[in-house]
Amino acid sequence: MNIKRIFFPVLIFLSGCSKPSEKIIVATAANVQYVMKELKTEFEKETGKEIEVVVSSSGKLTAQIREGAPFDVFVSADTKYPEEIFSKGGSDEKPKIYAYGTLALWSLSIPENELNLKVLNTDKVKKIAVPNPKMAPYGEAAVQALQKENLLESLKSKIVYGESIAQAAQYITTGSVEAGFTALSVILAPEMKGKGHYQIVDSTSYKPIAQAALLLRHSDNSPKKETSQKFYDFLFSQKAKAIFKKYGYK
Amino acid sequence: MDWQPLWLTFRLAIITSCILFVLALPLAYWLAFTKFKGKGIIEAVIGMPLVLPPSVLGFYLLLAFSPSHWFGAWVENILGLRLVFSFPGLVIGSVIYSLPFMVYPLRAGLQSLPVSLREASFTLGKGRWETFYKILLPNCKSAILTSLVLTFAHTIGEFGVVLMIGGNIPGVTKVASVAIYNEVEALNYDVANQYALVLFAITFVILLLVYSLNNRFLRVRQTS
Repeated sequence: MNIKRIFFPVLIFLSGCSKPSEKIIVATAANVQYVMKELKTEFEKETGKEIEVVVSSSGKLTAQIREGAPFDVFVSADTKYPEEIFSKGGSDEKPKIYAYGTLALWSLSIPENELNLKVLNTDKVKKIAVPNPKMAPYGEAAVQALQKENLLESLKSKIVYGESIAQAAQYITTGSVEAGFTALSVILAPEMKGKGHYQIVDSTSYKPIAQAALLLRHSDNSPKKETSQKFYDFLFSQKAKAIFKKYGYK
Repeated sequence: MDWQPLWLTFRLAIITSCILFVLALPLAYWLAFTKFKGKGIIEAVIGMPLVLPPSVLGFYLLLAFSPSHWFGAWVENILGLRLVFSFPGLVIGSVIYSLPFMVYPLRAGLQSLPVSLREASFTLGKGRWETFYKILLPNCKSAILTSLVLTFAHTIGEFGVVLMIGGNIPGVTKVASVAIYNEVEALNYDVANQYALVLFAITFVILLLVYSLNNRFLRVRQTS
C-alpha cells in the first residue's frame, strides 16, 4: 500500500483554505455566557451582522488579548482586567461599566427556607464551593460576605475553590459540595432551570461587582471595526439593559 | 513564591509511584507471561489513560467521587472519607492516570529477559515467586527505573485531572501545576515563572541522575 497516496489527499483536505471571517469575536467572561446568548440573538436580529462568542475566565481572556488574540470586544467580569489591557494600550477608549453582578448562594440539598450564610456553619454542609477569589470577582465578593458575617475563619476547612464561577457551579450541580457561591446569572440561565434553591446574598456585604466592557483596538481599515463599534454600543443600549436585568444583573 | 504547592506535587508523585509499583508488578508479570486469550482487553483498559484526555478522566472521577453518586456515597458512609477535593482523591486519580507508565516498561523489561533464565531457575527447583524476585527483578533494574521515573514525572505534570477534582485547596490539593496556572490567570507572570523554573530545574536534575544511573546498569550488563 502506498502511504503517500493516502497521506497527501488527507493533508490537502485538512489544510482547506478558508476565507477570512467577517464575524467579529466577542471575548466573554464565564458569568456573562448565558445572557450573551440572548444578547447575540437580539443584536444579530437588529443588525444582520453575525458575531462569534468565545467564553473563558476574564484572566485567561486578558492573557490571550495581551498575546495578540484576534478578539474585537472584551466583556469582562470585573473592571481590573479591562483596565489592565487599556493601560497597556490595547484600546483607544477607557473601559465602561455595562452591569453590576449579583452574588448568590446555591444548593441542591438545602431547602429554600433554611438556605442562608449561617447554615454553612452547621453539619448539613461539609463542603462549600467558592470561585477562586484570586481571579474571580464573584469569589472575592463571596469571601467579603463571609468575612462580614465572621464566618470565614470557621469555614476555612470546608471551602473548595473552583477556578471560575462556572466550575463552582459545576461542583454545586454535581452534588460534590452541599452549597456554594456563584453568579445569579448562572443560576437563572435556562440551562440551570429548576436546579436546587438559591438565596441572593445581601448586596451590602460585599463590594459591588462592577463589570466592564472594552472595545479593543482596530486598525482604521479593518473590516470588523464598524460591527465591533456597533456591538459595543449595543451593550449599553436600553434593550441590552433589559436583558441583563432578566438575568439578575443590576 | 510559596513552596507548599511544590512540596505537595512531589509528595503526590512519590506516593503515587510507590503505590503503583506495588500494584503494577504483579500486573506486569501476568501480562508478560500469561497465555490468557482475552489479554488484549486488559491491555486496552490499562492503556486508556494514555489516550484519554485528562479532563475526561477528571470529569468521571468528579462524578464518581461526588456524595450524590453511589460510589462517593458508599466511601463516605463506610470510611467517612470524601474523596473529591481531598489528597487521597488526588492519589487515586494519579494512580489511574499514570498506570500505563508504570505497567508498560515493566512488562517490556520482563518480556525481554531470555526465557532460559526462568527455565534454568525452575529446573534448579526454585518456585515462581523466588524466581521472580531473586532472578527476574534484579535483571530488569533498568526497566524498573524507567517505569518509576516515567510515573513520577507524569504525575508531576498532572494538571487536567487535578483541576477537575482538586478544588484548589492550599496545602491539600493545590499542586504546583495548578499554582502556575493560577498565577498566570492573576497576571503574576513573575511568580508563575519562578514556579516553572523550579519545576524545570528539579525535573531535569532527576532525569539526569536517572539516565546516568541507567547507563551504568546497562554497561554492567554489557560487560558481564
